[in-house]
Amino acid sequence: MKGGTAGPCLRLQSVSVHYGERVAVNDLSLSVDPGEFVALTGPNGSGKTTVLRAVLGFHDPAQGSIELFGRPTADLSARERALKVAWVPQTESPRDNVRLYDYVLYGRFPFHGPLDAETQEDHAVVRRVLKEVGLADRSEDGVLSLSGGERQRAILARALAQSTPLLLLDEPTTHLDIGHQLDLLDRVRSLSRTRRVAVVAALHDLNLAARFADRIVVLSHGRRVADGTPSGVLSEELLARVWGVVADLELDRRTGLPYLVPRELSVDRPRSPTSPFVGPVHVVGGGGAATPILRALADEGYRLTAGVLHLLDSDQETAASLALPTALESPFAPIGPKARSQNRLLLEAARAIVVAPFAVGPSNLANLEDVRPFVPRVPTFLFRTPPIQERDFCDGRGEVAWRDLVAAGATEVDGFDGMSEGLGRLFSSPPATPPAARVAPAS
Amino acid sequence: MAEDPRRPTSWLLGRASLGLLLAVASILVLVISPLLGSVAIPARDVFQILLHELSGGALFAQPCAGTPTSPRLCGAYTVIVWQLLLPEIVLALIVGAALGVSGGALQGIFRNPLADPFLLGISSGGTIGAAVLYVYRIEVAEADVYLPLFAFLGSVATGLVILGIARGRFSSVETLLLAGVALANLLSAILSVILLYNPNGSVQVTFWLLGGLGLATWTVDGIAFGAVVVLGSLLVLNGRELNLIQLGSEVAQSAGVDSRRVRLRVILLASMTTAVAVAFTGIIGFVGLVSPHIVRRLAGSDYRVVLPGAALVGAVFLLGARDISFLAFPGSDLPIGIFTAFAGVPFFLYLLYRQRRAVTMGGA
Repeated sequence: MKGGTAGPCLRLQSVSVHYGERVAVNDLSLSVDPGEFVALTGPNGSGKTTVLRAVLGFHDPAQGSIELFGRPTADLSARERALKVAWVPQTESPRDNVRLYDYVLYGRFPFHGPLDAETQEDHAVVRRVLKEVGLADRSEDGVLSLSGGERQRAILARALAQSTPLLLLDEPTTHLDIGHQLDLLDRVRSLSRTRRVAVVAALHDLNLAARFADRIVVLSHGRRVADGTPSGVLSEELLARVWGVVADLELDRRTGLPYLVPRELSVDRPRSPTSPFVGPVHVVGGGGAATPILRALADEGYRLTAGVLHLLDSDQETAASLALPTALESPFAPIGPKARSQNRLLLEAARAIVVAPFAVGPSNLANLEDVRPFVPRVPTFLFRTPPIQERDFCDGRGEVAWRDLVAAGATEVDGFDGMSEGLGRLFSSPPATPPAARVAPAS
Repeated sequence: MAEDPRRPTSWLLGRASLGLLLAVASILVLVISPLLGSVAIPARDVFQILLHELSGGALFAQPCAGTPTSPRLCGAYTVIVWQLLLPEIVLALIVGAALGVSGGALQGIFRNPLADPFLLGISSGGTIGAAVLYVYRIEVAEADVYLPLFAFLGSVATGLVILGIARGRFSSVETLLLAGVALANLLSAILSVILLYNPNGSVQVTFWLLGGLGLATWTVDGIAFGAVVVLGSLLVLNGRELNLIQLGSEVAQSAGVDSRRVRLRVILLASMTTAVAVAFTGIIGFVGLVSPHIVRRLAGSDYRVVLPGAALVGAVFLLGARDISFLAFPGSDLPIGIFTAFAGVPFFLYLLYRQRRAVTMGGA
């Protein structure tokens, strides 16, 4: 309703906030436009809550400036600030069993001097926001009698009663079940749309952030590391880098929005000298020959792709269980042009190729042949045990394709150790080696 | 859902009965107070004298006429009722109101139902102020003036120390409360040392420690009334802020309350209000603690109601305690602070018991 002024609602310029020695927010610049729904996200301790608290004046920035609608927050009184920005904390514990209606009416505080009575407008606003959060029928009840979900909506109503053009939410869904999480954020988003209220929500749930926010700002160690639309920002690489989590990024077919399926921890428990997420390494296989290789490489922390694998094939099942991007073909069918072009895309992206000792038949000969053009560019490792002659079931054409690969520069290895060693050398550039490994030689 | 019809009824009943009790008590207290004192005066004479004085002589032009009281004795009664009894009653009302309103405000600002004007050491400071005067016999000739002044200054000085702590950037209300309690203990220790080395002052100082209305005069009442009305009104103006502070000082801040400034303001005003009470009557415990609780039970937790309500309840409560002291020990003038505890503690426990039961019943 308000805040039709041009320019951003909120602007942070090179803001740093310190807690004693610790730098909670580090040189952060950020600008939020009217009506925008920004999700501020990042791991615990990344500074997202601190940013909100700095805007609210609970912390003074050590450096930089924070402006609300063009006015430095340092110049605003608590009352002036409360007319521009409202806050929905993670939780609120009222001491007394205040009537919900009166509780929401507290939100009208900045509109009154000490001797003013409540106006008709105050009551109209309170009734409207109670309806908007779906609590109109509970207005006579005491706040302590509300359920967790209702309590959170009551807090939202109190904040909305301030009628501010900017709303800050600090992990508002932490104490809510999934249904109430969706309900609350859905209400916030539709209010932000209908009333053009800008929203900045600290959310640690990336899927909720992707679902509701126009824009996601990712913080790590108090710095902004990503900023953009959900589809532009969310990536497996970001998850790994910022959260230390291996996750798969999927697309919700219905909404077209990305969502993440977390798989496991990556950084907190490195399982091999190999730094995680190097790769991708493309594994060519079939019939179960690639399964031990895929498992071993996944355990060593490589990012993997696979193909072309037939559906229901045991290698395909392994690839699926590891959630690897895989070029697929229908069961028992010859590898067709579509699967081959998918496979070529994965090969294109690969930083190394491993060819498992699979049985080569007419239906999958293309798997060997398609590797050939990439060999000069991409280091390729061929498992030669058992030898190709013993597993070539297409009249020597498999053996020909194999020799082509070797001639082009592919490395033949005898087993896992050879492959690991080869890949290890390949990816032993500094970022790929954890600090411990780098320190070791000095002793 | 099933208990909905039951809950409001029991709740209403609880409120109505408590309210009725309070109203009856108020009237009773106001009526019988003038009859009770260290000198027994016939009731008829008391009311005739009162009405005579209050009407400026228009009513009962000859008080005590038609009673066995001789005109000479009636003259003495008039002095006792008008110059001693009534100022004492009025002072009880003023001090009770001061303690009630500052207790309510402190409970609000500390978000703690056990906060009390005396918890923070404000009263101990006042006592030390008075003790210093007694013990070192400074201007004893004008003790009536200097004693309250020293007590007031002692209280205010203590209040300022607490304010100094409160001004610290990161001090939370919990820290502040703990600091206040520690300060109170320190001041008690200092007081003990002063008394130990100056036994000649200890009797008078004990009066301060136990509280009493003995200093009451119309002048004292006038000063106390003016100060308490001004300070109490300023406190009551913070009701809206206190309501929000119950949600946490940060939530209050986000809704436009300058929490820190309100905290400083309320502590300063409550300290000064308490200091006025301590200056004239010494330490009278329990009034500031109980009165806000009674109002909350009666009228809910809106501080715009709790603060003036606590002033009213505190006034009646303190006067009632005075009456009980005279009823229990006729003719003796025992320190009133003893009786506020005697009357207050059982009632307070009863309130807690009721509240607990209400929570259990309503706790769906």
